[in-house]
Amino acid sequence: MTQLTLYEEAMCCSTGVCGPDPDDELVEVSAALDQLENEFDVDVSRANMQHNIEEFLETQQIADLVEEHGPSILPITVVDDEIVAREAYLSYDELASTLEDSPDPQEA
Amino acid sequence: MTATQTPAKEVVEPNSEDTEFVFFSGKGGVGKSTVSCATATWLADNDYDTLLVTTDPAPNLSDIFNQDIGHEVTAIDDVPNLSAIEIDPDVAAEEYRQETIEPMRALLGDEEIQTVEEQLNSPCVEEIAAFDNFVDFMDSPEYDVVVFDTAPTGHTIRLMELPSDWNAELEKGGSTCIGPAASMDDKKADYERAIDTLSDESRTSFAFVGKPESSSIDEIERSASDLAELGISSQLLVVNGYLPESVCEDPFFEGKRADEQAVIDRVQSTFDQQALATYPLQPGEIAGLELLSDVGGVLYDGEEATVDVDAATRRATNEDTVDFDSFTDGDAVAEELVPVEETRYLFFTGKGGVGKSTIASTTAVSLAEAGYETLVVTTDPAAHLADIFEQPVGHEPTSVGQANLDAARIDQERALEEYRTQVLDHVREMYAEKDDTQIDVEAAVANVEEELESPCAEEMAALEKFVSYFEEDGYDIVVFDTAPTGHTLRLLELPSDWKGFMDLGSLTKGAAPANGGKYDEVIETMQDPSRSSFAFVMYPEFTPMMEAYRAAMDLQDQVGIETSLVVANYLLPEDYGDNAFFENRRAQQAEYLEEISERFDVPMMLAPLRQEEPVGLDDLCEFGADVTGLDGVGEDDREEVTVS
Repeated sequence: MTQLTLYEEAMCCSTGVCGPDPDDELVEVSAALDQLENEFDVDVSRANMQHNIEEFLETQQIADLVEEHGPSILPITVVDDEIVAREAYLSYDELASTLEDSPDPQEA
Repeated sequence: MTATQTPAKEVVEPNSEDTEFVFFSGKGGVGKSTVSCATATWLADNDYDTLLVTTDPAPNLSDIFNQDIGHEVTAIDDVPNLSAIEIDPDVAAEEYRQETIEPMRALLGDEEIQTVEEQLNSPCVEEIAAFDNFVDFMDSPEYDVVVFDTAPTGHTIRLMELPSDWNAELEKGGSTCIGPAASMDDKKADYERAIDTLSDESRTSFAFVGKPESSSIDEIERSASDLAELGISSQLLVVNGYLPESVCEDPFFEGKRADEQAVIDRVQSTFDQQALATYPLQPGEIAGLELLSDVGGVLYDGEEATVDVDAATRRATNEDTVDFDSFTDGDAVAEELVPVEETRYLFFTGKGGVGKSTIASTTAVSLAEAGYETLVVTTDPAAHLADIFEQPVGHEPTSVGQANLDAARIDQERALEEYRTQVLDHVREMYAEKDDTQIDVEAAVANVEEELESPCAEEMAALEKFVSYFEEDGYDIVVFDTAPTGHTLRLLELPSDWKGFMDLGSLTKGAAPANGGKYDEVIETMQDPSRSSFAFVMYPEFTPMMEAYRAAMDLQDQVGIETSLVVANYLLPEDYGDNAFFENRRAQQAEYLEEISERFDVPMMLAPLRQEEPVGLDDLCEFGADVTGLDGVGEDDREEVTVS
C-alpha cells in the first residue's frame, strides 16, 4: 500500500470547517484525500504541528526542512518517503496523477 | 443527638470499597462552595477520608476554612480526614499550553513559538485543560470520597459532554478541534474510565445547588436534562438561602418568603426522583466550622437549622442606616447609555439569575421613551423577553408595542440552520468555479455537512447572528441582553480569536478569508467606549462580584474592552425588613457595593429588590425612571444621531 503523508502548519482544525467561513483550501484537501483513499490503494495520514509534533520530530527529513526554513515550508506532501510537494497543497488531480505514477512497493 | 437518615445522606455517603465522587453544580452565588465545604466536612467528621477539589476561578475555601489552600492538596488543620485543593483554571490552562509547546521548541524559533502560543490561547484549550485536572482526581484511591465544587453549571455540562465527542473524533482518526489528537490518544483510557465512573450511579453522585427562585430552578432543570441526555442522572438538589420565617415580619418579606416557599413546593413535585434538602439564608456569610457543621447537620442528619442573628458577624453596629444612594450618580449612568455620535451598542452581561434581561429591557424602554430608536436583543436561549414585554419576541426584530422600540431573540436552531446553509452554499460555489476537476463534489459537500455537526458550528452560528446585529440599520441604540458571562466571553472573544487564526493563516497561505474585515469592524466598535458600553449586572455578594470582575478583566486583557457600567441589582429596600437580620444583610450589601465601586471604578446603576419583577411596558417604564438616570432625558435635548 502506498503511504501518503501531509505535514501541515499548526492549526485548530484540519478539515477547514471551523471558523466564520470554511477554509476553501482545507475543505478541498480534505475531500480530495477522502476520495483518494476510496479510489487508490493508499493510506493517507495528516500531521499538523500543533497536534502531532512528534511526527515532525521523528521524521528526520521533515524536521530538518522545518528547522532550516521555518513553518513557511509547510505543507509538505510525502508519498512513500519521497517529498512530492512543499509550501503548497496539491489538488486532487495532481495527487491522483502522483499516485498513478507511484510504483506499488509490494509489486516492485 | 440521634442522627436521622436523610435522603441526602444516602446520596453522598460512600457505600463501597471504591473511591466515590460527589459533584456539586450550580451558578456562582448560590452557595455551592458552602454546600461543598459543608458536605466534605460532614464526610470527614463521619470518618471518611475526604478530598475537596474546587475549580472555581475565584475560590473562597481559604475564607471558609480560615486557612491558605492553593494549587496543592492541603490538609485542613481543624478537620481530621479532610484535605482540599484549589485548582486555578488559568494556571491549569497555561501549564497545558506549555506542555503542548515544549516539544515544538526543538523545531521552531522564538517568533514561531509565539505564534503557536497565540493559537493555543483559545477557549478550546481552556476546556481541555480544565477537564484534564478533573480527570486527574478521578483516580484517587487514597480517599474514600472526593467532593468536587465544580465550575458553574453550563461549563460543567460541557466538560461532561466533551470526552464522548473526543472519543468519537479519535476513533475517526482525525485531529479534533479541541486538542492534540496524539497526546489525547494517550489519555483516551483515562478519559474513558472517567466517563464510565461519571455514569456509574453507585460511585458518582451529581448534586445541584440553587436558590429558591424560579430562574435558578429552571436553570437546574435544563442542566439536569442535559446531563440525563448523557446518561447521568442528578440525585440531589440543595435549595439554599430561603428566608427564615422568624425574620419576615412585614408584608414585603412575608410575600417574598411565600414566593420562595411556592418554588420549593414546585421543586418537591417536579424533582420527585431525587433527594431534596434545604438550608436557610443566614444573617451573615457562612464561614467557620461551626456554621459549616450546622449546614452539614441540616442536610445530612435532619437537624433544625440555627439562625442566630446575634452570633453573626455584625457589620453595621455603630453605623447609621445604610445609604445606598450615595453609590450612584444618575447623570453619569445615563451618559454611558445614550448615543454619542453614532449608533451605540449596550451590552448587559452577568450570570443567569442576576436580573440581566429585566435590566436590559428596562433600559431599552427608557431609551425608547426618551426618543431613541432602540432594538433590544437577547442571545440567551433561556431569556424570556416575551414574558417581560408581554409581547411575542422572535428571531427577527419586531415591535413590542412601544414607539421606537423593537425586540428580538436569537433562535439557536435557526441561527445554526442559516450558518449551515451559508457554509454549504459557499462550498458548492467554490467547486462550481473549478469545472475541470475530477473531484466528487457531492461527497465533499457531505464531508463538510458532517463536520458541521460539531459544537464549534453552534458557536460559530451564534457568533454570525450576533455580528449580524451590528449591521442592522435604523437604530440609535442596540441593547444586548447577552448570554451568561462565560458564554458571552467566548462569543465575544471569538471574533478576535478567529481574526488571529485568519491572520496567521494568511501569513503562510497568502490570502485571508473575505469575512476578516467584517470582524475587524465589530471588534473596533466594541472597543470604542463612545460606541459600545459594557455593563456587568450582579448582586452585591462575594462570588457574583468576583465572577463579574474576573470576566471584566478577561474582556480587557483578551479583547481590549473596558467596562463602562456596573449594575447592582436586588438591593434590599430600606422601607422593609426592619430588624437585625436584614440590617445585617443590608450592611453586607453596602460593604460589597463599596468594594465593587473600588474594583470597577465606573458609574453604578442601582436597582432595588422589588415585590414583583416589572412586567409589561408600564412597569418597565416606571422601573426605568427609578434606576437608569434617563428620566428627563427627552426628545428635546437629545442631539441628532447619525445612524450608521
